[in-house]
Amino acid sequence: MNLSVTLGRMTLKNPVVLASGTCGYGREIAPYLDLNTLGAITVKGLSLFPWEGNPPPRLFEVRAGLLNSIGLENKGVERFLQEDLPFLEALDTRVFVNIWGKTVEEYVAVARKLDAIERIDALELNVSCPNVEKGGASFLLDPEALRELVGRVREATGKFLIVKLGPKLQDWEVTVRILEEEGAEALSVTNSFPAMVVDVERMDFVFAMKSAGLSGPAIKPLALKMVYDLVGMTELPIIGMGGIMTAEDALEFLLVGARAVGVGTANLVAPSSAVDILEGIKAYLLRKDMENIEDLIGRVR
Amino acid sequence: MSFARICRKERFGERFVCFELEERDIASQARPGQFVMVRPGFRVFDPLLPRPFAVLSANDDRFSLLFEVVGKGTELLSYLEVGDVVEVLGPLGRGFSLDARFGILLAGGRGLVPLVFLAREFEKRGILFSFFLGVRKRKDLALLRLLEDLPRVLWSCEEAVSGGFCGTVLDLVGKCLERALWQGAKIYACGPEGMLRELATVFPGKEEDIEVALEARMGCGFGVCLGCAIPRRGGGYWHVCSDGPVFRLSEVVL
Ligand SMILES: Cc1cc2nc3c(=O)[nH]c(=O)nc-3n(C[C@H](O)[C@H](O)[C@H](O)COP(=O)(O)OP(=O)(O)OC[C@H]3O[C@@H](n4cnc5c(N)ncnc54)[C@H](O)[C@@H]3O)c2cc1C
Ligand SMILES: Cc1cc2nc3c(=O)[nH]c(=O)nc-3n(C[C@H](O)[C@H](O)[C@H](O)COP(=O)(O)O)c2cc1C
Ligand code: FES
Repeated sequence: MNLSVTLGRMTLKNPVVLASGTCGYGREIAPYLDLNTLGAITVKGLSLFPWEGNPPPRLFEVRAGLLNSIGLENKGVERFLQEDLPFLEALDTRVFVNIWGKTVEEYVAVARKLDAIERIDALELNVSCPNVEKGGASFLLDPEALRELVGRVREATGKFLIVKLGPKLQDWEVTVRILEEEGAEALSVTNSFPAMVVDVERMDFVFAMKSAGLSGPAIKPLALKMVYDLVGMTELPIIGMGGIMTAEDALEFLLVGARAVGVGTANLVAPSSAVDILEGIKAYLLRKDMENIEDLIGRVR
Repeated sequence: MSFARICRKERFGERFVCFELEERDIASQARPGQFVMVRPGFRVFDPLLPRPFAVLSANDDRFSLLFEVVGKGTELLSYLEVGDVVEVLGPLGRGFSLDARFGILLAGGRGLVPLVFLAREFEKRGILFSFFLGVRKRKDLALLRLLEDLPRVLWSCEEAVSGGFCGTVLDLVGKCLERALWQGAKIYACGPEGMLRELATVFPGKEEDIEVALEARMGCGFGVCLGCAIPRRGGGYWHVCSDGPVFRLSEVVL
């Protein structure tokens, strides 16, 4: 059985990827699953300097969904390189590093530092975090800012460049053309959805930032539609994600044309989820008498 | 995660349920103050996240939990019966230090769970201690069954009970523990946030020697989501699941 997939010039041994922010920097989740069995791991969003993140509460569960307002807490790129890179270097899987900044300059500086590290296979530019005031999703709202950001990061690194998108109201065509023109090589679709909860007893918002990012089963059909639409709009390979909890969920994304799938919230629900999903995909291929996972991708259009 | 069969179920009062679970790894490794994440069933995605619970006791191939029914997740768990299987992850987190010469254990409501485990460990090690339990409702006094064979147990209830002390556990401590008695002791506490906040006032100058087991809303329980942040003394945040759940009072802002 051939499970390997290509994303442009990048090959993954299988399409299952751990999504950023739900597997730490790798070491934390490693006791619970064999990372080497997966296609790639995407580490928590890194910035140039350590970032404290948002005040608690940071999580709230709704029906079949999770709102988070972590606010991109991270240890900063330097400490990551010192403390976590050695662990990642010993892995036999692709290492993607998710990055963010408050300004274009910060993104560029992080990209430069990571560009020098051979072990890192790809950079994933987070332009869609709903939980920070600056940076994050604001780049998706302003086409010219997005163009500058992606173009400048492209100049700063020769690494495989993924751009992580989130839901937005603007015209996708415009965004996608900019990303293609500026040298993005793949898209991660999607980040969590901007969402809100109110505490009726306290008559106030649950989260200090008022809104937060919704992930988990509740967003799966929405994310699937986004992936489907984007597959129809661009040749850029897409890593589909949003509410993937089971192999069936992952297969839906592959069938509509995603070339890989990201597992996020499911890692919190059970840390071995990604491996279970991969096993389920294998069982499905076997049952359907399919030799090659590529034969599955984009079958349902 | 692994599967654990419920091999005993017991109710305490109206709101508390105790499960004894069969799972050798957790049973043999758990230390007082550590916790486990529990899901009511495989492939159940609503409730979505597993719920954290402190370990009440552990020996050989079984460990037990005691939980208060407060919402959707705990209600669903309370419907499970002997023979049913839950998914568990653990033991997780950093437990209590066990280096006391004399311990004062202060429990508010369900906060007694990790402290009962600690008390048993102290007994094994020959460390002397006193156990104070405070409950809100008369019916919650059913929890005293867990403390039956322990020496030096004192309790209080916020509802009037004949022959009992009426008030919170800290009111009780204020009444019967003089400074000389707690000065050389190590204090271990678990309970509602308001109670833990008051500790600094009840035991002035003692913050270094007070260990508190904290609760926070958790996502993963093993350090990947950063959802369980609480303010750290001196700025920034701790993560309750991986830095705690046991902290020195002097390390945190409550
Ligand atoms: C390390 C740790 C150990 C714990 N040990 C125990 C234990 O031994 N026994 C026990 O009964 N409970 C314990 N808890 C608390 C327990 O995890 C929560 O009560 C449970 O998750 C609630 O789930 P639910 O779905 O029933 O409630 P939900 O529907 O999620 O919430 C019900 C209510 O409880 C509040 N709530 C939910 N989670 C928490 C939380 N973590 N802290 C404070 N308030 C919360 C909500 O605001 C809401 O008002 C522990 C928590 C932690 C973090
Ligand atoms: C707790 C948490 C933290 C996250 N942190 C990041 C992050 O740092 N960078 C990022 O691009 N996405 C982050 N995400 C988004 C996920 O990677 C994923 O895109 C999203 O949650 C949808 O997938 P899911 O439903 O499978 O979780 C985070 C999500 C969660 C739940
Ligand atoms: S609960 Fe996920 S990091 Fe603590």
